[in-house]
Amino acid sequence: MSNGTLPTPSNAESLDERLVAYLDNELSDDERRSVDEFLASNDAARDRLRTLMRTWEMLGDLNRQPVDDSFLRSTLEMVVVEARDEAEKTQAAAVVRRRRRWALGTFALAAVAAAGYWATVVFWPDPNRQLLEDLPVLESLDEYRNAGDIEFLRLLEKEGLFDGGQHPIGEAKP
Amino acid sequence: MEPAFQPSESAIQRQALSDPDVRLMLEVRDGSAVAFEELVLRYQNRLITVLEHLVGNRDLAEDLAQEVFLRAYRARATYVPGAKFSTWLFTIANNVASSALRSKIRRAEINIQSDGTGPMSVRPLDVMIQASTGQMPARRLDKAETRDIVQLALATLNERQRMAVLLNKFEEMSYADIAEAMQMSPKAVKSLLSRARINLREILEPYLDHGTAPRNADS
Repeated sequence: MSNGTLPTPSNAESLDERLVAYLDNELSDDERRSVDEFLASNDAARDRLRTLMRTWEMLGDLNRQPVDDSFLRSTLEMVVVEARDEAEKTQAAAVVRRRRRWALGTFALAAVAAAGYWATVVFWPDPNRQLLEDLPVLESLDEYRNAGDIEFLRLLEKEGLFDGGQHPIGEAKP
Repeated sequence: MEPAFQPSESAIQRQALSDPDVRLMLEVRDGSAVAFEELVLRYQNRLITVLEHLVGNRDLAEDLAQEVFLRAYRARATYVPGAKFSTWLFTIANNVASSALRSKIRRAEINIQSDGTGPMSVRPLDVMIQASTGQMPARRLDKAETRDIVQLALATLNERQRMAVLLNKFEEMSYADIAEAMQMSPKAVKSLLSRARINLREILEPYLDHGTAPRNADS
């Protein structure tokens, strides 16, 4: 038996690993060439390779019984059931989504209505409010007319003549 | 199951054109039942063969194969072709089989070295040795016996070695594809397959050399 040397593998395990990769055609060109050279000069390695090949070929004897038609049928039936479940779930989810959209829409509408009402109350000028504010003046309008001069009335107010709940003259108006 | 990255549209088209099964799966994604049926027809025997020898039980292998097809169907909406279709499908198969093998209940069902009453069970090695050496020591093993011995030798491998061997032998997958299907590095696959084949050689070599069963299991 001649003894060639393989550059990289330093023990039997790595030699086997390389031989297996050689058989599986998983080596680079350079690696393959070096294994070829090693095998050409090493009887033991060639025997090792041959045994690996033969035992690998024995796996071809394993049972490979084809499946019968019922497998395809039952598999497709399972998928049909799955597809139906998916469709039902999708439909149910769509209903939930639709309801949620309705609820959100209703809520948004109510919120907008409430905000509108509030804005109207706060910002829209109310003629009645103005009337109410001017009511004390209106109630005494005849008397104020008798005074004839607004500046004279203001002077009286300044001196406290109207103290006791009367509204200041002219300040009620915006 | 999904690819780790999103390939570009042109990469997807190239992949689809180079692999007709990818094109079928894209049709399944678009709602084609006919394409799915075609995929099942193409892969049912391949899948069941691998799973049967992985779990050691034909009925369980068929159940698991159906689960694999069902998972593939469920994943259709998010399917993005990033690898060969067979690699993608066997990735699912590997996950399904691993889960089944991990399951305690399933473990009891698939124990291939149990009482030997199951439809796909093999005789324990000792019994086979006795039969072949005790009565007719020089006779050659017949085909069925060889098959049983190979099945038994395969059963001595651990689950990962067995899966790698089956994908390599029956699916003729490259180390890179096996690595992807089993979520390992190609280097790890190389080492795994090497150890597996050395184990197989040690068990099967006596049968090859002498045509008879060895005198003991370790020889």
